[in-house]
Amino acid sequence: MPESLIVLKNLSKRFGKKKAVNRISISIQRGEIFGFLGANGAGKTTTIRMLCGLTKPTAGLGTIGDLNIWKDRFRIRSRFGYVPQKFSLYSDLTVGENLRFFAGAYRVPAGKIRDRTRKVLCDMDLEQRESERAGSLSGGYKQLLAIACALIHEPTLLFLDEPTAGLDPTHRQAIWDLIYELSQAGTTIFVTTHYMDEAERCTDVGFIDGGRLIAKGSPRDLKEGLKGHLLEVQVEPAMTAMFELRKLPGVFGADLRSGNLRLQAEDPDALLHSWQIHWPFPNLKFLGFNWVEPDMEDVFQAYSRGYYRPERDQVEAGQLAYKL
Amino acid sequence: MISWNAILAIAYKEFVHVWRDRRVMLLIVVLPPFFTFLFGHAFANSTIQDVPAMYFDADNTEQSQAFLALLKGKDIFDWRPWNGDPEGKIELFPAGVEAAIVIPKGWGQGLRNGDPKPIRGVLDGTDTNTAPSVQGALQETLGDYQGKQRDDLISNLPDEVIDLGKQLPPEIRHQFSSMMTPWDVKIETLYNPNLLFIDYVLPGIVGLILQLITVTLIASTITREREVGTLSQLMVTPLRQTEIVIGKVLPYLVISMFLIASTIAVGSLHFGVKFHQPLLLSITCLLFLLFSLGLGLLISAFSRTQTQAIQISIFFLLPVMLLSGAFAPLSQLPRPVRIVSEFFPLTHFCRAFRNVNLHHSHMGAIAGDLAFLAVGAIVTCAGASYLLRSIDE
Repeated sequence: MPESLIVLKNLSKRFGKKKAVNRISISIQRGEIFGFLGANGAGKTTTIRMLCGLTKPTAGLGTIGDLNIWKDRFRIRSRFGYVPQKFSLYSDLTVGENLRFFAGAYRVPAGKIRDRTRKVLCDMDLEQRESERAGSLSGGYKQLLAIACALIHEPTLLFLDEPTAGLDPTHRQAIWDLIYELSQAGTTIFVTTHYMDEAERCTDVGFIDGGRLIAKGSPRDLKEGLKGHLLEVQVEPAMTAMFELRKLPGVFGADLRSGNLRLQAEDPDALLHSWQIHWPFPNLKFLGFNWVEPDMEDVFQAYSRGYYRPERDQVEAGQLAYKL
Repeated sequence: MISWNAILAIAYKEFVHVWRDRRVMLLIVVLPPFFTFLFGHAFANSTIQDVPAMYFDADNTEQSQAFLALLKGKDIFDWRPWNGDPEGKIELFPAGVEAAIVIPKGWGQGLRNGDPKPIRGVLDGTDTNTAPSVQGALQETLGDYQGKQRDDLISNLPDEVIDLGKQLPPEIRHQFSSMMTPWDVKIETLYNPNLLFIDYVLPGIVGLILQLITVTLIASTITREREVGTLSQLMVTPLRQTEIVIGKVLPYLVISMFLIASTIAVGSLHFGVKFHQPLLLSITCLLFLLFSLGLGLLISAFSRTQTQAIQISIFFLLPVMLLSGAFAPLSQLPRPVRIVSEFFPLTHFCRAFRNVNLHHSHMGAIAGDLAFLAVGAIVTCAGASYLLRSIDE
């Protein structure tokens, strides 16, 4: 059993009356790529900021290794790297100057700064741009530079807050390749994202909604719960059908996927059965159906639409807890 | 443990921010010496000169012309003749003058008859400095004229009167002759023997420029990082607040030293102001700069946005400009206001600088001011680092 690097117990943060993060409990193993998923404003960034010691938890406990995320925040800081959501480097400094600055700030020994800078420049494919101003880089390179700065002190834990938001597919791929490499080398990655295909690439994911952790598990386990429950129907015209089907009682969602309608319903078997007896839409043509393999998009939709009702108290470290 | 490498990393970065901002660089290099030049000339002479004034000689006698000739010899006035009703209302503003006199008809006659008539004078009271000076100058000229007349009278006295006078008892005679000679104060001016206002006002000019530039320059540094988001990035590094504060103050200290050098050079080369005890003056400047930078940093740590930081700086600098004794002695201010002034670094800087440079005082005389500046520097810097610490708690 690998040991847990990050352990959160009922971690909470409220801003005035608003509970931004509400009793989150997670444990994350060393070497894991933990994907933290949730809509905008769900509490992802607040959680990361608490983990980084940038904001004080209002309740609960969090530890990284054996250090408390708030009380020992000054000691923890040399152990992790943090890439915030917003580009937060010095635009008027060059790529090299930014790296050397953060090397100094992270107390990389003076003798090692050169080698470390070379290494991350090479890893991030930034060698050609060492003397360019950070502000003039394209979005993808800015992000690579931000990651480079966060890695300059060889941390064993890296927080990435939406590292691929707004990037083109090439740079997204580049960043994920990098994440894999880091993970291979033993770095623990805590990454937030909106992109469900990226969630698929994590070793473990957690869903946060309205400040609450509603599910945690490996992508495979999470998808397992939906298996045999996802119905795709072929109806024409598809667009009209989508809106009509969404109005049906017991249907949580109907989405267009490659021309078919993917349904999330309380009891898809019963629904299908009733349609086989009587198709209620005279203006729509029912062409056929099939059961499909769920992907993370489906899982995310299912959770955010309340398709699953997690028994909240059971959503503890490493547990899958929901009922269908 | 404070890491000097980390401090140097911040200092270098901070310096690059200013260095790469060409407009700010231009301001730093050009404005301070230019302002010293400009303000120096503006305040070089505090004496009032060439006040536009008009006269109407309704008397037009030998006496009135002699008096007017004396008046015209005074630098304070710029006379021009005028005609009108000597008794009627005299308007100054439409005529574009600030003073007017009328020598009434029969004035010269009156002097001879032992019935001197007053000269009519009209003054513009809007400028509270000019009016009293003009009045004083008029009075003084009239006194001079009277003295001259008296001397003429004495030297032209008939011999009989002199003989008569010789019969007076010696005490009365001596008293009388003493009355006839003008009494005088023999003045020896110390510290600024040529009464050069520039020597007095230069520390004020230098201090004010430094205060303005240092506070506004540094005031936006932390807030800029807060706005851009780099502050969070700084806060997740193991950098300590003290290191951030020292790292940020250092480059601005170097820049400010350059500013002092350039303004002092203008004062010395162009205005011929002499500087004494360079070491003591340097210590005064250094402590003043540290206090100002600390204050700017405190404002920066306290504000949420750069705009706010600049606004707060201006609100702070406004009373400093008017109440710190940079351009006029503090003793002219009412007592309660002077207590407020004692809280401004510029007040202590000006006082210490003048004490050293004009009064040639030694360390002991300015120790209080230096101590205030030093304590201020420590308190503001510590305050700034404390505010940085409690950033998101």
